Amino acid sequence: MLDDCVISLPTGSVVCCRFWEDESVVYNQVSGETHLVDGLGAQIFKFVSEQAATRTVVLQNVKRVFEFEIDSDAEGLLDILILEYQKLGLLTITENNSA
Amino acid sequence: MKLAIRTKKAVIQALKTRGLRLKIGGFNVCLSSSIPEVADHLLVLYGASDVINDEAFIDFYISLAPPSKLRRYFRPQVNFSYDGYFPFKPLPYDQASAMFEWGLNWCIASHSHQYLIIHAAVVERNGQAFIFPGTPGSGKSTLCAALVCSGWRLLSDEMTLVSLADGLVYPVPRPISLKNRSIDVIRSFSPDVIFGEIVNDTSKGSVNHLRPPDRSVELGKMPAKPAKLIFPKYEQKSATNLAPLSKSRAFLKLAENCFNYNILGVEGFNSVGDLIDSSDCYDFKYSSLDEAITLFMELAH
Repeated sequence: MLDDCVISLPTGSVVCCRFWEDESVVYNQVSGETHLVDGLGAQIFKFVSEQAATRTVVLQNVKRVFEFEIDSDAEGLLDILILEYQKLGLLTITENNSA
Repeated sequence: MKLAIRTKKAVIQALKTRGLRLKIGGFNVCLSSSIPEVADHLLVLYGASDVINDEAFIDFYISLAPPSKLRRYFRPQVNFSYDGYFPFKPLPYDQASAMFEWGLNWCIASHSHQYLIIHAAVVERNGQAFIFPGTPGSGKSTLCAALVCSGWRLLSDEMTLVSLADGLVYPVPRPISLKNRSIDVIRSFSPDVIFGEIVNDTSKGSVNHLRPPDRSVELGKMPAKPAKLIFPKYEQKSATNLAPLSKSRAFLKLAENCFNYNILGVEGFNSVGDLIDSSDCYDFKYSSLDEAITLFMELAH
């Protein structure tokens, strides 16, 4: 499980997002790739594209949007997605210095 | 001055000497050729286009000529050149007019990055542009031809040009390229339309070009607002079915059909996004042109 890190879009507007209903399209200028992201992933991008947020805040937001109790499985899925998006250069994970 | 009022002799003379200069949509094209059949092709299919004066800026200098003297007599061939550059291998001589059309497509797609260029037919009715992206065989040109024969304005059969500056679709009203069975389908759908000479045995099979309506050519500078984005798929005997498509999925399908999405980078992403925002998106399956046209007429109201 990830620590309570800060999740954000990479600096320099390298990543662009568009949102429609519960789906989004995310473009990475560095790789030139365009990704279709839906469901939980779309919510992550919708939230962090407005402002960087800690994992805890992202988790709370996901809970609010999907109206479900977050158990360890859901948290695990969120972490897997965040790490996958980081690998694709779509998200940045930094240490939470205010923690 | 319209090309149609020139005599064939004058057109051949212009092609052989300083080049014939035509306004085609927003592009100025200068074509040189010693091949008389090219003059026939232009007179039949580009009659409503304006001939421009010698001082006008030319976007594309194009030449169609046999590659060597020998090739004038032995298995004659034709070569396409753009600004003295030969982007393609020569084709059989009797494919010269088709080569002009394909070569001009290439010129526009390779050099006009002030537009997002989509491999799509686009027609307009009631101020709304209907865009039909499609891979070869999807039936987009057949659908486009049938709509144009039913009174819709042709903006383009092959390339939809979306301006990066204002998001509008700019016309390139050129002949509609029909292939193989589509040729007879449109001939029987609209017996009065004017076709050029059929070209057989091309890499795409038999190709025949349909003359664009004069009115569409006259409105060649007037852009249209994108309204519907429809991904057609012709399937024999299939029922007519227009199914809404999610905007995100339409985005990816559209990006796949763009010639320069990757070249434009963020501008391309934003342009596709804006186009999707302003359009209703659908998948469309059909086999009956009549049903398709009735449906699109209703959609355009």
